[in-house]
Amino acid sequence: MDKKQLQKFIQWLQEKNYIVIGPTKEDGQILIKTISESSQLDFSGQLPLYSFKKYLVPSREILFKYKKDDFKADLTAFKQALIGVSIFDLKAILLYNQVFEKDPYYQARLNNTLIIGQSQIPQFQNLSFKVWEDKYEEDILEHLQFDIFLGQAKEKKSSEFKIFTGSKKGQQILNDFAKQSGWKSDFEHVEYAGPIKEEGANPEMMKIKEKMPGSLETDIWQNLDQRCIECGKCTIVCPTCFCFSLTDQPCLNKDEGMRKRCWDSCFYSEFSEITGGHKFLKNTAERIYNWYYHKFVRIPDEYNFPGCVGCGRCSMVCPAGIKIHEVLESIKTK
Amino acid sequence: MKNSYQPKIAVIKKIKIQTPEVKLFTLQFKNKEDQKNFEFIPGQFIEVGLPSFSEAPFAVCSNPNDSDKNFQICVRIAGQLTKKIHQLKINDQLTVRGPFGNGFPNNLTGNILLIGGGLGLVPLRPLILANQNNRNFKMQIFYGACEAKDLLFQNEYKIWQKSANLALTLDKQCPNWKGNVGLITTLFDKIKVDSSAIAILCGPPVMYKFVIQKLKQAGLDDANIFLSLERRMHCGIGVCQHCSVGSKYACKHGPIFSYQELKNIPGAL
Repeated sequence: MDKKQLQKFIQWLQEKNYIVIGPTKEDGQILIKTISESSQLDFSGQLPLYSFKKYLVPSREILFKYKKDDFKADLTAFKQALIGVSIFDLKAILLYNQVFEKDPYYQARLNNTLIIGQSQIPQFQNLSFKVWEDKYEEDILEHLQFDIFLGQAKEKKSSEFKIFTGSKKGQQILNDFAKQSGWKSDFEHVEYAGPIKEEGANPEMMKIKEKMPGSLETDIWQNLDQRCIECGKCTIVCPTCFCFSLTDQPCLNKDEGMRKRCWDSCFYSEFSEITGGHKFLKNTAERIYNWYYHKFVRIPDEYNFPGCVGCGRCSMVCPAGIKIHEVLESIKTK
Repeated sequence: MKNSYQPKIAVIKKIKIQTPEVKLFTLQFKNKEDQKNFEFIPGQFIEVGLPSFSEAPFAVCSNPNDSDKNFQICVRIAGQLTKKIHQLKINDQLTVRGPFGNGFPNNLTGNILLIGGGLGLVPLRPLILANQNNRNFKMQIFYGACEAKDLLFQNEYKIWQKSANLALTLDKQCPNWKGNVGLITTLFDKIKVDSSAIAILCGPPVMYKFVIQKLKQAGLDDANIFLSLERRMHCGIGVCQHCSVGSKYACKHGPIFSYQELKNIPGAL
């Protein structure tokens, strides 16, 4: 599929009532936004500052609208097409799919979402944001969940995309598009083989996981305690940070309101606070340790894959200059 | 797909003042089917809420054998939600989700030592009530409160004592109090604890370290010491991350853990 056909395909999706969301260049920055024209999309493969997280796990969502004691679940979801989803963000979607497997709100949204990945690994301007060695491999697609994937053609000079499908939905859509547009249907189907590669869990992850508990005795966390200002920016940009709180928001009308699920941040001091004021994560050192523990021990324990996709966004936004790859290096070599 | 966040409505049937700060609420689901199908294991908790005041976790504290008729929670005034709940009257309504968590082990036999500190007696009560006629269950209860006025379920002690040995202690000397004075650990100096006993602890976080020391001195096995962990629980299904304990969640894998499971997890106790 060449660029022209791709633009046509995007227009066709819009005609099919899909809201199309993808990377677009604004003031020199790549942002993920809802686009109105397919020409707004940027396929350069640069890493957008934010991930696609909020389109599947919104920062605020209404679970119920209540009137007195009548709680009505709001499971409405609109049709959306996420286009240009990088391998990093696809890995995060893999995690959401596990974490929210039994969540009717997430599942309703996912069912109405078309996920279109893109192969180019971002060319980092600054290599210091690179988290770990996790390069693009031939077999990676079979370990990711997506509908359609825009792969780079084998011949480097070609501007064509090699199209893959990863779901029945993806196949169906492309067949429909081919029928209605005259595009010569040409794609390869990749059967999902689960999140973990045949050779087993990521060895890099296993090494960090093994070293994490013992690292508590070192000065790694005390040093970070002195630097981290607990702004929570890393948790906002992190594609895999999904923790949330449940709160009620009363309306002005008497007895009416909404029960909401909102992003939370484990860096906020009240995150672990219970009635009476006791906090189980008492200080910055304990909270930052908990953040790393979640990504490199708890998620691997639960799902056998890392809770860090390696995008480096946390390092890019940290006002204190904390770099995740440096922290991981010090855990490994302690 | 089941919506774990969908609350059910429960009606307040009875309110009993326990202490100046604690009320015992008897609740019944508004929908008869909900009540008939309601089952819980002692040690499990429910998320109780009020529209516009959100939810908080409470241990179900009634006899599990009555769960098809009604259930109870004990509420201490501690914040916005509990203050509001205390203002409610009979026939007012609450939202309920759950039960959540694992509950106490269900095959307990032999010498059972229940240790409750303050409000920690609340989750232990269903275990006491359900095992009153259990001959395989030799029950010793240690219960400590701050002052005499803080002792919960005082009118039930006589019945409990028919099937259990109840030892009380107060942190402070109070008028007309003839029982033990001192922290709950001082009861270990007066009553011998069998090394084969199974201990079940529930109390404020600060209590655990000291009570475990005493239990270890008495020769109890780490696997025979069970603790109920208090944590901030939002979702109740092991997703929201607030109640993580190492790689486990208090709301899903707990709130009851053995000391063996917890002893190597930093920050668990």
